[in-house]
Amino acid sequence: MRLVQGNEAAVMGALAGGCNFYAGYPITPATEIMEQMSRILPSRGAVFIQMEDELAALGAVIGAAWGGMRAMTATSGPGFSLMQEHIGYAAMTQTPCVVIDSQRVGPSTGQPTMPAQGDVMQARWGSHGDRAAIVLTASSVKDVFDVTRLAFEWAQDYRLPVIVLLDAVLSHMRENVELPPVPDPIARKPVAVREDQPAFGSHPFIPFSGSTRTIVSGLSHDERGMTRGAIGQDAEQIIRNQLAEVDRDYKRIVQFRRYRLDDATWAIVAYGITARAARAAVNSLRESGLRVGLLELVTLWPFPEQTIHELAASVQGILMPELNLGQMIWPLKASVAGLAPVSSMGRADGELFRPEEIVQTINRLDHRNAAISSVIGGGKHHA
Amino acid sequence: MYEEFSAPDPLCIRLSGRGGQGIILGGVIIAQAAMYDGLFVVHTQSYGPEARLGSSKSEVVVSRFEIAFPEVIHADVFLCLSSEAYLKYHKAISPRAVSVIDDLIVAEDGFPSEIFLPLRRTARNLDNEMTANIVGIGALTGLAHIAQPVSVEKAIREWVKPEFRDVNLRALEAGLNLVPHSAMTSG
Repeated sequence: MRLVQGNEAAVMGALAGGCNFYAGYPITPATEIMEQMSRILPSRGAVFIQMEDELAALGAVIGAAWGGMRAMTATSGPGFSLMQEHIGYAAMTQTPCVVIDSQRVGPSTGQPTMPAQGDVMQARWGSHGDRAAIVLTASSVKDVFDVTRLAFEWAQDYRLPVIVLLDAVLSHMRENVELPPVPDPIARKPVAVREDQPAFGSHPFIPFSGSTRTIVSGLSHDERGMTRGAIGQDAEQIIRNQLAEVDRDYKRIVQFRRYRLDDATWAIVAYGITARAARAAVNSLRESGLRVGLLELVTLWPFPEQTIHELAASVQGILMPELNLGQMIWPLKASVAGLAPVSSMGRADGELFRPEEIVQTINRLDHRNAAISSVIGGGKHHA
Repeated sequence: MYEEFSAPDPLCIRLSGRGGQGIILGGVIIAQAAMYDGLFVVHTQSYGPEARLGSSKSEVVVSRFEIAFPEVIHADVFLCLSSEAYLKYHKAISPRAVSVIDDLIVAEDGFPSEIFLPLRRTARNLDNEMTANIVGIGALTGLAHIAQPVSVEKAIREWVKPEFRDVNLRALEAGLNLVPHSAMTSG
């Protein structure tokens, strides 16, 4: 058992996931990740580079991945904005890599030391065009370790940039946790390459080295990487393949935690650090006799549409608190599809929601429902 | 003046002061000490963009059970080392809180229950005003059961740089001695 900081857990999780290349540019509140990588990676025979900015940082990460490295960077909102171009490039070139964004209040420089959850849509849609996306988040120091390790695994499996969203509180938070020891660096065997193996499409990622010649382009290309003028279906096919692969493994990728939901008449849906306040609110509402549960999202994208839809059918209302002015509430509403009323709580002032604020909102919603059902009679309201 | 304090569960501790006073390190040391005592802990920190000065806050939640909400709303134990932080935080405490305030702070609207102790002055006598955080932690250890003194000592050894270890251990002892022995907790 050790006292571990969120950012330190990200480093340990990355190492457990095989990370052997880090390029970055320091920024609060993600800096400790880079700081620790700069100490640890060289001593493991791995590579650490401080780049001139965030564009170069993700550029270096993509290049390292082409060379067969398990590569990552970490940043915060302003840097994440700069990385959007290269996130799209990594998607188009099917390059596995991991990007951690420790969210702080934005837009622009915002509040560097204060937490937010304002990048949840940017993480999905920030670069132009369509692409498959895997975006994970965490609510505890232990979680940070687990999702960062998973991000490396899934980046390889799906040949995607996988994004991990933390926040200023979680990055700097310390908890006592039991983490597995950091494994020794693994000498990975090169993937066997057939002469005729296409470099792109639904194929395992092959590092670009040795005797194979690989053409890489952000232009639309076919499976050999060849660009063909004005033939749009190549690009669409690559994106569709990726989407289909992620879709096929939906059950593996879409992770969430159900907390006291089985008999719940009200559901809170929350993610990241906000789920901690929601859990405390559920406990306190349960003590006052209201049957409330929490669905904590670990995977934000792909969005757990089916799970939310099923949940909506079993409760009389859903509340989503988030540290932005209403972002994930939109896919939530789409997934609920009118089966239950949905309410949003948002803030972007750098403070966490307090459990009491969530308790009050649920109580207010419950009283309103009680008033309505006493007028119309019956309804789903609990006894 | 010193009433016997029985620690609630969860125990919510808030340290506050200026950037550079070791407020965050103080929180880490308390969290580490409580962990040595076999408890669940969460430590959070909050500071302005300035590396020095500006207000700084560090919070520790300690419990026998897993901790849901990581921050402190009403502190059960409050330590304050600067006037600015005092104005900002001294009222956000629970009714029976132990509040230890540095006596160089001019408190015009203080609560009668606040305990003013010479934290910075004691640290200066140790020739290192930077140790006022540990003097304060010593006083809190005596007054408010935040952790076993031996665990605090072990945490200081773990987290303080070797060259400052001795002076911080002396600061801990000086802090414990600021508190009347009748108020000392057992163990």
